[in-house]
Amino acid sequence: MSTAGIEIGLERETPAGLETEEMTLNMGPQHPSTHGVLRFVVKADGEVMRRAIPDIGYLHRSIEKISEKVGYHGFMPYTDRVDYVSAMQCNQGWAMACEKLASIEVPRRGEYCRVIACELGRIASHLISVGTTGMDIGAFTPFTHALRERERINNLLEELCGARLTFNYMRIGGCAWDIPPGFVKRASEFVEQFEPLIDEYNELISFNKIYVERLANVAIVPAEMAIAWNLVGPNLRGSGVKYDVRKDVPYSVYPELEFDVPVGTGERGTLGDSYDRYMVRMNEMKESCRILRQALGGIPEGPVIAKVPRTFKPPPGEVYVRVEASRGDMGWFVVSDGTAFPARTHIRTGSFSAMAIIEELSKGLMIADLVAVIASLDIVAPEVDR
Amino acid sequence: MQQLADSLLQTGFLQGVPTEAGYALVIAFFAFVLLNFIMLIAGVTSWLERRVWARIQSRVGPNRVGPQGVIQWLADGIKNIMKEDIVPAEADRPLFKAAPYLAMMGFFATFAVIPFGDGLVVADLNVGVLYITAVTALVVVGILMAGWASNNKWALLGGIRSAAQIISYEIPAGIAVITVVLFTGSLSMQTIIRAQGWAPWDWFLFANPFLCIASFIFFVSALAEGNRTPFDLPEAESELVAGAFTEYSGLRNLLFFLVEWGNLYVIGALYTTMFLGGWQIPPITEQPVIQGALQFATFFAKSYFLVFVAMWIRGTLPRVRVDQLMTLCWKYLVPITFANLIGAMIWFVLFPNGLAIMRFAMFALGVAVTIYFFSRILFHLRRARPRLRLNPIS
Amino acid sequence: MGYFNNIRETIRTIFEGMAITASHLVREPYTVQYPDRIDLPIQDTLPFRYRGLLDVDLEICTGCLACERACPIDCIVIEAEKNKQTKEMILRRFDIDLAKCMYCGLCSEPCPTGSIHHTPEFEGADYSLESMVRRFVKAPIPAYKPTKGPETDPEIAPLLTRGLRYLDEFASPGDSK
Repeated sequence: MSTAGIEIGLERETPAGLETEEMTLNMGPQHPSTHGVLRFVVKADGEVMRRAIPDIGYLHRSIEKISEKVGYHGFMPYTDRVDYVSAMQCNQGWAMACEKLASIEVPRRGEYCRVIACELGRIASHLISVGTTGMDIGAFTPFTHALRERERINNLLEELCGARLTFNYMRIGGCAWDIPPGFVKRASEFVEQFEPLIDEYNELISFNKIYVERLANVAIVPAEMAIAWNLVGPNLRGSGVKYDVRKDVPYSVYPELEFDVPVGTGERGTLGDSYDRYMVRMNEMKESCRILRQALGGIPEGPVIAKVPRTFKPPPGEVYVRVEASRGDMGWFVVSDGTAFPARTHIRTGSFSAMAIIEELSKGLMIADLVAVIASLDIVAPEVDR
Repeated sequence: MQQLADSLLQTGFLQGVPTEAGYALVIAFFAFVLLNFIMLIAGVTSWLERRVWARIQSRVGPNRVGPQGVIQWLADGIKNIMKEDIVPAEADRPLFKAAPYLAMMGFFATFAVIPFGDGLVVADLNVGVLYITAVTALVVVGILMAGWASNNKWALLGGIRSAAQIISYEIPAGIAVITVVLFTGSLSMQTIIRAQGWAPWDWFLFANPFLCIASFIFFVSALAEGNRTPFDLPEAESELVAGAFTEYSGLRNLLFFLVEWGNLYVIGALYTTMFLGGWQIPPITEQPVIQGALQFATFFAKSYFLVFVAMWIRGTLPRVRVDQLMTLCWKYLVPITFANLIGAMIWFVLFPNGLAIMRFAMFALGVAVTIYFFSRILFHLRRARPRLRLNPIS
Repeated sequence: MGYFNNIRETIRTIFEGMAITASHLVREPYTVQYPDRIDLPIQDTLPFRYRGLLDVDLEICTGCLACERACPIDCIVIEAEKNKQTKEMILRRFDIDLAKCMYCGLCSEPCPTGSIHHTPEFEGADYSLESMVRRFVKAPIPAYKPTKGPETDPEIAPLLTRGLRYLDEFASPGDSK
């Protein structure tokens, strides 16, 4: 039997006396909780899943190929679309790759602008993630509360760069816009008001017994398995591996800033379960607030963008840079042949490997757990397909 | 109702009409009145739920149709009636078409015994509580039928979940009801209300710890039977798209929603009857009409408060998983209700006429919990420092 | 003991959650009914940098084609030719296909006069793709020629002031704050 090109062998077990039949369910691409357009072929025995086979490609826009046609400067708005939930880090990844190719030094004020924008973006992205986790588990209120706070971040970023989702804020060599007057005050106000709301959010939903029961001990990923399956970011940290690109492969001005890397502790269940991944995101928001407070307080004087020619022609060569995006280690591999267009670009994203592990994790889970696992791995469909 | 029919026949109001036809006319009249009442209740509940939910979520909610959007439900209803009624090609047509009516029947029949006032009850059956437990089971058949006839795997899963859930939760709900029946000695709704008083400390909720526990268990089980959050598994939107109702459209879909919102009121009315003293008010006037109206208002306010609590719960809690649903029922609710029932029996043997000190102590405890609750609300408001707007629906 | 702990924990956390949601009943809603329930039009509340629909002030367009070159999706089409006698640039066509435009802002950055710029206008819904193409040049007009000193033409001066203010928002390598 073939379903969308995936060969599925029907294995029927018929215990004496009780005949059950495995059913094949099609989940997505228009299912309400598949976060964009994902598709799963679920082989289930009643409520219990035997397998959930991810089927990707519904949101493929050939972004990597586009980079070969639009040049280095022109590709920047496309990077927003790689992961539209946290576009800032994608901007930064591309800018850093190009800067490394052409050995451009970014002014310090530019780096601070980048860090502020990225950390605001990270909070916004994690808010979407924890909010949709709540929604997938059936509580709609946390989602709107999370979006309410995200909306305030969007207002701040709109002030900074004129757009709410596809920012296109960074340029090769720095940032396109300097920090507007009054921004620092408003951003600091937001950080002050946001921190107690994290606690409120925790008490509303994260510590709720039903919620804990739904996430704890579900889809456990031990540390070795997480490394073997190439999980990155909060998913990897949820398994207790303290790996953060901002600390381990430092870039930008992160070494100057003081922050911790939260890891999963297995506080309510087993180390590496869905609840740990979820709590890592909650704690990371607090760390982002810490970074923001330091960065907003210490913005140096100076220009925000280095001098970069309009026709940007880096010397031939290839680079690989990594940034800590909201969904983990995002790698940008760029090959230059000396012309104004990259010869090859490859983007390595966190959601892609998280998508792969679902088939392994889904064995023996319930259908209701599948949506919880998708949410806790924080899979964003455009990042999977690019 | 029978008295009314008899008196009408005797006074000659229905002259020349055979007795049976007279009864039928009176039944049809009451059914018509009740149906309209239910439509109104379900409609206004749907609007209020959306408004309450919206405010909990920092939104505004529907506010355009009519003042503050109060007739939004009418607009939605008209829209749904005018929509095309789609029956999937591979569906089991007769079952698919009949399912919403069966669910509707099961829930509509409960209104026959709900006592809105001293004389305001269609039929004060001597097995009232048992009757409600029996007829609400028809809703399961409707939902299961809908799930099966849709010929859709998601719908089937929803239907099966619903069946398992409602049948399981009948047990704790039934035993909680029995705890009350133990103290009244009657299954009749009116007798249960008359066994209580108008003062809060005369309510069964505060009569003794066992009835208090039974009331909570009853409320949880009733939420589960009404497919409400946190037990809305049959239509779990994020898991099963719309569960058993996935393939329904137009009027049939509307009927299912009517059942859901109407059921909410039934839960509130049952709870009010059994634990909150029903329509009991102190004798205020001699005028039977005004007294009756006040009783109705009291009953309605109490039961609608319960509806509000259910909305509020829906705005707070996530959904349980299907195995946790069963764990909660069989490992927690059922043993606790049984133990509770035994405790209630011992209590009843020890104090057949109740214990006044206990009543006041329980009432004081209730007040204390409420005060603590409000202090927590103040704490959260102080911590988040939001801008306040006290008018709840604007 | 876990059994009773579970019950206690469930009741405690639900109680806390209910208190939070109840406190939201008196908080002001964050959303605003769109579009007629606020005092100002939405467009006036947007920040200056807001990237809405593109607009072109043809009076100060120099016909340098910088925006056309910068656009990554070629949604700007300009036809300009040089008049042999007068050495003047004549704009024959200046089309922006708003259906293609992704509001990245790359075109307004290199503009020397701030002629092409984003407006706070965002309500651009239309029934056909054809009508989303904005054709700015109705009849061929000469392009703007930057003067040496400050602009003297009273019709062009305010446009130029606005355009340069728009350009000022973009960071440039020399800038030092």
